[in-house]
Amino acid sequence: MSTLRRDRSHGWLGGVCAGIARRYGIDPALVRLAFVIATAAGGAGIVLYLLGWLVIPAGEATGRRRLPTGRGAVEVAFGTGLLLLSILLTFRALGIWFSDAIVWPLVLIVSGAALIWRGSSAVRPEPAPTGVPGAGANRPVEPIPAAVPDEPRRTVGAVSRTGVGIALVIAAGFAFLQATHALNAARDVGLALIAAVVVLGVIFAPWVLRLVRSLTEERSERIRSQERAEVAAHLHDSVLQTLALVQRSDDPQQVAALARRQERELRAWLAGRPALGQAARLAPALEAAAADVEDNHGVPVEVVVVGDRELDPAVEAVVAAAREAMTNAAKFGGGSTVDVYAECTPDALRVFVRDRGPGFDPAAVPADRRGVRESIVGRMERHGGRARISGAPAGGTEVELVLEGER
Amino acid sequence: MRAGPDIRALVAGLAVLALGGMLLLDALDLIDLTFAVFAPVACAAAGAILVANGLSR
Repeated sequence: MSTLRRDRSHGWLGGVCAGIARRYGIDPALVRLAFVIATAAGGAGIVLYLLGWLVIPAGEATGRRRLPTGRGAVEVAFGTGLLLLSILLTFRALGIWFSDAIVWPLVLIVSGAALIWRGSSAVRPEPAPTGVPGAGANRPVEPIPAAVPDEPRRTVGAVSRTGVGIALVIAAGFAFLQATHALNAARDVGLALIAAVVVLGVIFAPWVLRLVRSLTEERSERIRSQERAEVAAHLHDSVLQTLALVQRSDDPQQVAALARRQERELRAWLAGRPALGQAARLAPALEAAAADVEDNHGVPVEVVVVGDRELDPAVEAVVAAAREAMTNAAKFGGGSTVDVYAECTPDALRVFVRDRGPGFDPAAVPADRRGVRESIVGRMERHGGRARISGAPAGGTEVELVLEGER
Repeated sequence: MRAGPDIRALVAGLAVLALGGMLLLDALDLIDLTFAVFAPVACAAAGAILVANGLSR
């Protein structure tokens, strides 16, 4: 039987409840409920939890932390509020009461703060996988996330929650001031504050506006620059590579087939739709890229993928960078087999592309050659990853692509 | 494979049992069930049901 350890992967705070549940094979919700009830009955649950956090050693975190979301979170919040209210009412009935001027404003502030916090940390929906390896990464970077049908409703929900939270906090302030007979004095202070804000606003408004405009322009320029880089990387990987193949080919039928395939791919990319036959997950996307490189260059590409995950724009960028690395290995690797090894864990995605060719010095690549600099290194950096190019242990070249972070 | 207990149903059942027991004791004049006593118990029962429901999702 396993030893008792805190389960941080499935825990909400320190993983004490999840660890106990895992150790004894029971439902974590049952353990959490026991702690909530113990907390309601005199606060023993909090002491026991903190003790467990201190005494029980932490297990290895292997996955994403799970917090209740959606309707579950709302129910837990309302339920906890009702339990707290029952404790307050019990205290009041027993004559243990601080003051209405403190307790009710405090309850309002806590409720309002919880709503504001929840509204501000509303999870942004993940972009839907497009199933376009390469093409997705090559699409121009969109400054505004692609709209999904639920987005407006989600935004309205978050805004309304935040609005109710702010109203509750303001109401708490008024309740406190009213109960302590300080409302008149607060009104004077409020007026003075408003006057000060207006005066400072008139003085500093031009500078603030200029700063905001400058920041907006800088952001727009950065986005345009990224879009240009993405378009350049796409054109390099698709059109330029095809033109190079066309120049080397002396078979009119093969040239026509290459041109038709390139036209279809380019039209799909321009229309923002998935290209025909593109996969929606990492492993088949890498295998499809390898098959393409094999067909185009006649060099065997061996692919091994450990684990898998759905394609999102960042993972598509890794596939596109790996494809470019495979193409380079096929073109300059002296005809040797190209090995591709991808390892997909909950924390990171790593892809290695190796060849046994003569190798090259990345620093010696001319500035006008975009393959390594933009299609591999630049593309990985634009999507939050990194690329490393070095000599392989058995000779040749090794390209390592790393994309860290839970997905 | 043995199915585990349904936490939501268990907690809801216990809460309703507790409320029903209090009402029964009041009807038998064994306790004096005033609003000051009943309100926190009702809040605690509803809160426990909601928390159990939310945690089980």
